[in-house]
Amino acid sequence: MPSEYEALVAALKLTDIPFAENAWKTRPEGVYGVVSLEMEDGDLIGDGRKVDRSWEGSVDVFFLRIAQRDEMMNTVEEILDEICGGSWELNSFTHEQAAGLFHIEWVFRVMDDAEDQE
Amino acid sequence: MAMEMSAEGLDGIGEMLGALEEQAEGVAARGLYEGAGIMASAIVQAAQGIQTEKFQGKRDSRKPSPEEKEIVLGAAVGIAKFEKNGSEVNTSVGYQNAGYAELAGKMVAVPKVVNAINSGTSFMKKQPFVRKARTKATAKATAAIRQSIEAAFDEIGRKYQGST
Repeated sequence: MPSEYEALVAALKLTDIPFAENAWKTRPEGVYGVVSLEMEDGDLIGDGRKVDRSWEGSVDVFFLRIAQRDEMMNTVEEILDEICGGSWELNSFTHEQAAGLFHIEWVFRVMDDAEDQE
Repeated sequence: MAMEMSAEGLDGIGEMLGALEEQAEGVAARGLYEGAGIMASAIVQAAQGIQTEKFQGKRDSRKPSPEEKEIVLGAAVGIAKFEKNGSEVNTSVGYQNAGYAELAGKMVAVPKVVNAINSGTSFMKKQPFVRKARTKATAKATAAIRQSIEAAFDEIGRKYQGST
């Protein structure tokens, strides 16, 4: 597991938002967060080796009141800035009418600690 | 003692550089269009892999329905209008302008269906097929853009070769 990802999970778990890792809880009540590592990224070079290997993942936060948005964004983005540097983006912000929940999704990339692999 | 140096054919090079500058925007746009096409194809292909399940009554969680997947597969993956930003030309590829489709007798916005599948909801686990396509196709699209630009510049170079 990339050490940057482990640091990210640890930092998110220290916030007031209850974060679950690699999990997905249905119908969260109140504020709830999910962080997961999803796919390998990285550039391929001519001989098939991967360089600059990285992983892409996402952070999701669900919450009930629009007034909570800035607090959620500041909390998560401060941690993403600190751990992922510039390698993150806000991917979506939606409102689920049926569930009455707001949902913010960020996508991040973390470097793999392993050496180049064949 | 100073050594005299001279270079010949600079007029031709100047003309070529002028042509490069003049045509740079068009060259970049053609390259971008090729790269965007590769990205759009990758998204269409990734959408085939969306996992579905039939509606089974009220449950806390579910996968997208086969009908929702059909909406995504039937929608056009668009290449947005190119935007100039200084020396850059930008665009986006996706379902932003895919319009509406009928789902269970109601009209739903296609981008909303795509977003629910791609980013997940409180009742549906995400299947980030658009991001997976981007990750998979970025290198190929970048190479196509580079190749297209290099080919165009070679052509301009050949055109002015005779005058240098």
